[in-house]
Amino acid sequence: MADIAFTKPVLPRHGALVLLLPEEGGGGALHEAAITATEGRLSKALEAAGFKGKKGRTATLWAPGGGLSKIVAIGLGKPEDMTPEALESVGGTAWPLIAAERESVIGADALAPELAARIGSGARLRSYRFDKYRTKEKAEDKPKAERIAIATSDPTKAKAAFAPLAAIGEGIFLARDLVSEPPNILFPAEMADRCKALEKLGVVVEIMGPKEMKKLGFGALLGVAQGSVQEPRMVVMKWMGAGKSAGKTKKPAKQPLCFVGKGVTFDTGGISIKPAGGMEEMKFDMAGAGTVIGLMAALAGRKAKADVIGLVGLVENMPSGNAQRPGDVVTSYSGQTIEVINTDAEGRLVLADVLWYAQEKYDPAFMIDLATLTGAIIVALGHEHAGMFANDEELAAKLEAVGKSTGELVWRMPLGDAYDKQIKSDIADMKNVGGRPGGSITAAQFIQRFVNNKPWVHLDIAGTAWAYKDTALIPKGASAYGVRLLDRLVADHYED
Amino acid sequence: MQIRLRTAAPRAGEAVALPVAQGAAVPEAFGAKAAAAGFTGAVGTMLALFTPDPVILAGTGAAATPLDFERAGGAAIAAIGDLPALVLDARGLPPDQAAAFAAGAMLRGTAQHVIRSAPSAKPPPKVELLTSGAADIVPPWRAAEAAVRGTLYARDLVTAPANDLTPASFAKWLRGLEEHGIKVTVIGPKQLRRRGFGALSAVGREAASGPRLVTLRWKGRLDARPVAFIGKGLCFDTGGISIKPAAGMEEMRADMAGAAACAGAMLALALRCSPAPAMAVLAIAENATGGDSFRPGDVLRTASGRTVEVIDTDAEGRLVLADALHHARQHRPQAMIDLATLTGSIVTALGHHRAGLFGNDAPLAAALVAAGLVVGEPLWPMPIGARHREDLASGIADIKQCAAAGSGAFGGRLLPDACHAAAFLREFAGPMPWAHLDIAGVETRAEADDLGPKGASGFRARLLDRLVAMRFEATPIGCRMAAPMRTMPSTNRSCWRPRTRHLPMARDSCC
Repeated sequence: MADIAFTKPVLPRHGALVLLLPEEGGGGALHEAAITATEGRLSKALEAAGFKGKKGRTATLWAPGGGLSKIVAIGLGKPEDMTPEALESVGGTAWPLIAAERESVIGADALAPELAARIGSGARLRSYRFDKYRTKEKAEDKPKAERIAIATSDPTKAKAAFAPLAAIGEGIFLARDLVSEPPNILFPAEMADRCKALEKLGVVVEIMGPKEMKKLGFGALLGVAQGSVQEPRMVVMKWMGAGKSAGKTKKPAKQPLCFVGKGVTFDTGGISIKPAGGMEEMKFDMAGAGTVIGLMAALAGRKAKADVIGLVGLVENMPSGNAQRPGDVVTSYSGQTIEVINTDAEGRLVLADVLWYAQEKYDPAFMIDLATLTGAIIVALGHEHAGMFANDEELAAKLEAVGKSTGELVWRMPLGDAYDKQIKSDIADMKNVGGRPGGSITAAQFIQRFVNNKPWVHLDIAGTAWAYKDTALIPKGASAYGVRLLDRLVADHYED
Repeated sequence: MQIRLRTAAPRAGEAVALPVAQGAAVPEAFGAKAAAAGFTGAVGTMLALFTPDPVILAGTGAAATPLDFERAGGAAIAAIGDLPALVLDARGLPPDQAAAFAAGAMLRGTAQHVIRSAPSAKPPPKVELLTSGAADIVPPWRAAEAAVRGTLYARDLVTAPANDLTPASFAKWLRGLEEHGIKVTVIGPKQLRRRGFGALSAVGREAASGPRLVTLRWKGRLDARPVAFIGKGLCFDTGGISIKPAAGMEEMRADMAGAAACAGAMLALALRCSPAPAMAVLAIAENATGGDSFRPGDVLRTASGRTVEVIDTDAEGRLVLADALHHARQHRPQAMIDLATLTGSIVTALGHHRAGLFGNDAPLAAALVAAGLVVGEPLWPMPIGARHREDLASGIADIKQCAAAGSGAFGGRLLPDACHAAAFLREFAGPMPWAHLDIAGVETRAEADDLGPKGASGFRARLLDRLVAMRFEATPIGCRMAAPMRTMPSTNRSCWRPRTRHLPMARDSCC
């Protein structure tokens, strides 16, 4: 992962130079300098390559002269294409083209400094690599980039604009690390310990073990955990950023925002065991929790002016002689009883207790839960949109809007009494599955039964938590879906 | 079942159904009884009393939407037991609500067609709609009844077993619509092959009864381009070479529910003499397995010229629709809406309570959602993302018909097939306003409810009829109308008066 620096636009004498060229011309001073330095060969080469600055098009000119190893041109498209988010993607597009160069300069001097910061952020997000378990990787297979300089007219301004983006980036990297870790390394206690890293950002971290949860009566969560030798944890992370800079006059405390994540560090399915094919992917069944932890790091890192509480329920779902059985009835923290029909529908059981706790304890302004909850949401929507279920139109509309602007898309899915009937139980208040038809919807109905008249959104991220192929900002692997989305939600609507 | 209009007050001994709004006072004679039984007038609830004459109180709720009155009518008729007759007492109700009350009774009270060696001795109940003055009720009842008849027509088609309803007999059945003024054109298997309908021909060629492409046309009176319905009509779907598992395969006789709904909607438009020109293109075939079946790996040349790589012969619906959509486009419709029991994926996504809505035109989609709410056949918008189309990139043809099994997440099992199917169909719809309704999961009722008995639902016939009423019956917009088609004379003034015995109240000429 390369360091990002911001410099004045000076033509480098070695390494790679990236030029960002709009369709309408005007690539900036570096572009002009490069044309001069290459004695016009650059312009001719781009013309020969048919490069006209179209959005997303790239062209590479090797050994162009002036000591440079290569010049890469990336098209920016038309002025209306150059949104901050699109430029972030441009930065991401640049990364694979310069990863093999020790030093590179990206010429963003024709862009505003705030937009130059976006270029840097995009390159950094895409440069993520989880390679700690590769002990024998050859040097030539590793990216060599150590420093990427973004050339801008005003480095100070760009640096200032980059700081919060870098903080969000750190949150994203933390979430990606957690999701990428193998399940023998990252079990609930270890994951809870890693949350403590947020303390140095000013987050108050509180960890509960099985004893405390038993005392509270977390019957649903503990039922899931009981099959594993790994103890469950619940972690509460508090960032109280509202009103801190408002001097001594203390404002009346606002209701905090609550984000709740499902953290099943590995999900075998339990007694209702999953088929073997693809089971290794179940290490990312804690991605909801990973995102919440990453989000808290992002918010604290950029000192968001909002009171935010992140809660994650961490368990491992294993089959064993002591595991929960289909047919068991458990009593949740809310007092409602649940007939467990399928032990592989465990995420909703974990969320049930943590959500109720969040409401009891913190009286939040709203709750948003994230969970890799159902395979059905992949069958429904695929991998571009997370499924969004909501009891609050305003919150849902805000999320739809920030989803479009951050590129972390949500798609609204229905709720309703007809679906709720599918989880009626003959012996308890509800059962934990409602059959295949509308599988994601009945899961959301289940969770809604643990929402106590609070604005609430449930994001089913089973299809979006893992990138099965590279995209502009996400290398194949853990996507940290939701960190950017929810950070932007807070930034746009809930900060003082 | 048919419903007659009357204005004469009920006589002693006649069974009467009374709509009761929630929060309104129950008629004094029944007040104490209703209170004792806890009857509040909530939608879908009813209370059967003997005073000693039988009286059924039917709750219409507080909102008093037409749908609520339909549900009340349905609940009332469901409660009549062995009574031979029922008077729906709608005196004092506005005509729309009275018509809805009766429409609900007709939807719920019409028994599903059965094939038994000894037919039931019990005749259908004699049902009458009682209003204070008959004149006002005629137009709304005429419209409501037409939509109900369209639904019942679709139900009968869906109910018919596949040995009765072969592609040939389906086409013949549709010919019967001619008596209602609908023009019926059938392209048979040979012509389909000759004219390049490569997808429909491939899907249907192994079955003993070959494929048919049936076009139904209703002229209407407006000088406008027609609205086109396109229906998947798989009389039976074995899955072909990619054969389905045996369990539940009998349900595949309902795989023509999309075509049935389109045909039902056309009947409704004709019966109520809709001014809007409309057409339906029905792709009818049986997907059989045998020595001449098409295969996974085959590349088909569709009617549009586009080539399609077959991945799974059980994803045949989108293939036949591809040809049907192209055929519909040749008539330059102002909008195309296709209906199909297309994917299991949509059932996993939305269950049995909503159908999936895909499309390329926001106003059309919004109109469909609105129409669905009015008739109680809700739709839910679903996405077609860039990834969905990318997943269909083929190495050998223009497009793959679906993503390969095993290419999905979690060991390959999880694929967004409904979205893939919609992305596929979008290629054949072209630039014109288009919507695709994936109605798998809603074509039959697992249990009776207020608006229908257990079995074929006939769903979406009423929705299409309502859509036309809400969106296509006003004066058409803009320049598209500049060149009306030869086949659509704008001066048509004649309207067939349907002659079937079902026809209730053709007292006045409708056009």
